[in-house]
Amino acid sequence: MAQQKPSILVVDDNQDNAEIIRQYLESKGYLISVAHNGDEALRLFETVKPALVLLDVMMPGRDGWEVCRIMRQHPALGRGVRIVMVTALDDWQDKREALQTGADDYVEKPFDLPTLVGTVERNLAMQHAKAS
Amino acid sequence: MKKLLLLTDASDPAVAQAVDSLEGWVLRKVPSDQLVGAIPAAAEDDLKAVLVCSTDPSTLRHVVENAHGAGIPVVVGCADDVARRRAVELGAEEWYRCPAVSEEIAQRIRGATGRRAPGAAALGERVENVEYEQMLNDSLTGLPTLPVMIERSRALFKERGELVVLYLNFVRYSKVEEIYGWEKLDAVLETTATAVREFLDDTSLSTSRLMVSFTNDDDFIFFHVPAAGVEAASENDITDMVARLQRHVGGRIEAQHGEDIAALFDIYVGSAHVYYSPKIRLERLIYRGIREAANAARSIEERERARRVSDLRTSLRERAVYIEYHPIVVTETKEIFGYEALARGVMRSLRSPEVMFDVAGAADLVWELSRLCRARAIEGIDQRLQGDELLFLNVDPHDFDDPTFDQHEVRSPERVVIEITERTAIKDYPRFRERLQRFRDMGFRFAVDDAGSGYAGLGSIANLEPDFIKLDISLINGIDTNFIKQNLVSTMVKFANDHGAKVIAEGVERAEEFDAVKALGVHLVQGFFLHRPSKLPLVPATPAAGVTAQSA
Repeated sequence: MAQQKPSILVVDDNQDNAEIIRQYLESKGYLISVAHNGDEALRLFETVKPALVLLDVMMPGRDGWEVCRIMRQHPALGRGVRIVMVTALDDWQDKREALQTGADDYVEKPFDLPTLVGTVERNLAMQHAKAS
Repeated sequence: MKKLLLLTDASDPAVAQAVDSLEGWVLRKVPSDQLVGAIPAAAEDDLKAVLVCSTDPSTLRHVVENAHGAGIPVVVGCADDVARRRAVELGAEEWYRCPAVSEEIAQRIRGATGRRAPGAAALGERVENVEYEQMLNDSLTGLPTLPVMIERSRALFKERGELVVLYLNFVRYSKVEEIYGWEKLDAVLETTATAVREFLDDTSLSTSRLMVSFTNDDDFIFFHVPAAGVEAASENDITDMVARLQRHVGGRIEAQHGEDIAALFDIYVGSAHVYYSPKIRLERLIYRGIREAANAARSIEERERARRVSDLRTSLRERAVYIEYHPIVVTETKEIFGYEALARGVMRSLRSPEVMFDVAGAADLVWELSRLCRARAIEGIDQRLQGDELLFLNVDPHDFDDPTFDQHEVRSPERVVIEITERTAIKDYPRFRERLQRFRDMGFRFAVDDAGSGYAGLGSIANLEPDFIKLDISLINGIDTNFIKQNLVSTMVKFANDHGAKVIAEGVERAEEFDAVKALGVHLVQGFFLHRPSKLPLVPATPAAGVTAQSA
């Protein structure tokens, strides 16, 4: 079955944030799944096979960096997925860290929703270009 | 196969379609008012999820509570915003807005079942399981890891009573990561694993039982269990095999990743024979064998290192170092702006500058080697460069402590750019800057090499007041698809523009990378996409070049 709408996994321990992101992205036609912690994110990652993961860095338990590293190592899904970190990082060191974990892009917190969609779109476009 | 059951009150045909599209699922439809009552019976039949569309708040609550009581996840089809809020409050695993297309509904069902764990303990187990599965096969190479190998060889080893362990130490892979970044290392490891597998399919040992394991970044272990009636591989067989393996893997790496990376590549192989003994635990025997083989590999490595030190001494005596010039071009016009001088050993074992300086470092010959490389490079300014082309010269900060290194070594300092790597820690900044200033006063210019390789950011670069900033290769590799790299490079370009410096992107290998750095405003570019390093032809002599060296 061909899946037309790209699926996105939103990972954020703050339920309100996650809901806001989910509703907004859904209104843009994406299929959204939400996880509230790292373990849940990893389980959903395998079941929903998202095209893109929006990953909050600061979470209790496994943080976003660790989740990102584990997702990247996934034998089947790790290569293709785009991973966008949602974080307050704005200095060189954090970005370097993000590169090291295998992230593709990041959104700086606090962000406005159009910026978020812009980031999602450019990453999905890149994924598309890479695949073809 | 047992079917996974979805219990629902939905009459929406999209729900039925969604269930059809999910592999192994079936639908059981009941009216809304019977939904709660149907849960226990369905739970007996492998119920995996409940999808409820009822708009009645109390039905909704009862369904969610009962399903959760039975450990079953719930998807709520919400007619309006009120229903959605209710679904979220009740803690339903997933919800969607009605009407929805079947794909979305299918996605929600998948999501809900993925999310709902039967209990906290099982949840942890599941995650550990993922990690355990990853441990079994190396995700990059697809080769089984050691615990799997031991299990697989157990019976064979017992039966044959003999096992040869080969330990292959791939050295300097960490260097690949350090210079080019982890993406490159991953790619090189993949090439290596493929090449090793190809080789094994083709080797005389393939008639025997041969298994491979990949323990960490640098090492492969082969278990060779001779087939019944066949002699175990002899020392000679092994030596011969290793030589061929080295050629094969080296060739593949060179073909795919270029000469510079191939030149870093070396394998040292040690072997050990293990004989089965019923009195000793088999794992212990095997681990002992691995240790013995690893030690053997290490002693071969040491022998080889000693040989290289002697090669280096010979090279220094005979000035057996030559320079290759790697063009740096103006991004906009692709015109040649200058050349980076890359020193290479004439002897094959010292072809790679990285290897050469590694050996020199271990043997306390760095200054001697640096002097020779510098002299050779400087000869090139007059003999091989044209017009006003600049020479980019690699100088280790430690070289500034060399009393013989002074600003008068070069006739035309305004044509020399001294590259200082950010990788070497500079301890005494004020003194170092003072030293640099003397060179600057003579007309030398400076470049910070490998900029952005560390976590330090721009502060340490600003400290050196460079004329050029050479970006670390790891930032350029794959920059076209990575927005974080683009962001870092654009920060660097802005910084350079503010400080009157020019940014050089090195390691540009593909057109896409070139386009990306061009779009980001990077001033100068160096890389295989445009030029390979080469020995430049001699320029017709301009008399009295001022350097007293003779060309080799």
